[in-house]
Amino acid sequence: MSTILVDNLTGKTSAGSITVTSEGGAATQSLQQGLIKVWASIKGTGTVSTRDSVNQSSVTDHGTGAYSSNFTSAMSNDDFVGSISNTLDDGVNSNGQSSCIENNSTDPEFTTTTARVVTENTAYNNNDSPYVGITVIGDLA
Amino acid sequence: MAGTIIADTLTHSTAGSVTTDYVVNGSAKAWVNFNGTGTIAARDSFNVTSLDDNGTGNYDVNFTNAMGNADFSSQVTAGYSADTGRYGENLAYNASFATVGARNSSGTSVDNAGIAVTISGDLA
Repeated sequence: MSTILVDNLTGKTSAGSITVTSEGGAATQSLQQGLIKVWASIKGTGTVSTRDSVNQSSVTDHGTGAYSSNFTSAMSNDDFVGSISNTLDDGVNSNGQSSCIENNSTDPEFTTTTARVVTENTAYNNNDSPYVGITVIGDLA
Repeated sequence: MAGTIIADTLTHSTAGSVTTDYVVNGSAKAWVNFNGTGTIAARDSFNVTSLDDNGTGNYDVNFTNAMGNADFSSQVTAGYSADTGRYGENLAYNASFATVGARNSSGTSVDNAGIAVTISGDLA
């Protein structure tokens, strides 16, 4: 078994591109492209806070069931993939049955530094959720 | 000339260690952000060669490099809009593509302008 002691991995040919061999050995893929760029576990009730996170500087409470995850290092564009899940049921209010990306017009409400999401109850109304999980994958700047 | 390192573990000076199977197995194998209305189109993607429009709120995400099996995990999140869809759903898996969908708050399939899909699992 071999171990590499290293603080930074940088591609030699292209600094932002390191390839790894697939599980089945039939393909290679970009290490950077497959990595989660932001994740956060958010307490979305009461005073909203972050339980743990990577590359999230803060969370913004936009009112009932609406939050923004604010990134420490920015994405290179706003076309990234944002995934969200939340608590199915708190046993009291059927809290947070479902969740989605907030979209006030036609596109997801993403910027290079934030992802805005909503959580809803079983009646499809915005509802604060005690456990909100967010992951972001895409291109870092 | 590019080099190749064969290793089982990566160790950071302060942040800890990770075995490289976590790097290989734990990385997303495909992702796409696409507009599922009108002529559907990807905004950005990784390991996605094309999208198929199968009808209202029903899409195939076709992989460039195939998965090793159809037992992968797919996360589908759809953009919120008061008058269109809200929720993403998994419909079917194939080693070469994932069929995903979007529905509104009434449970009706609808086209959605902001669909995000992430695929985790084993590449072929």
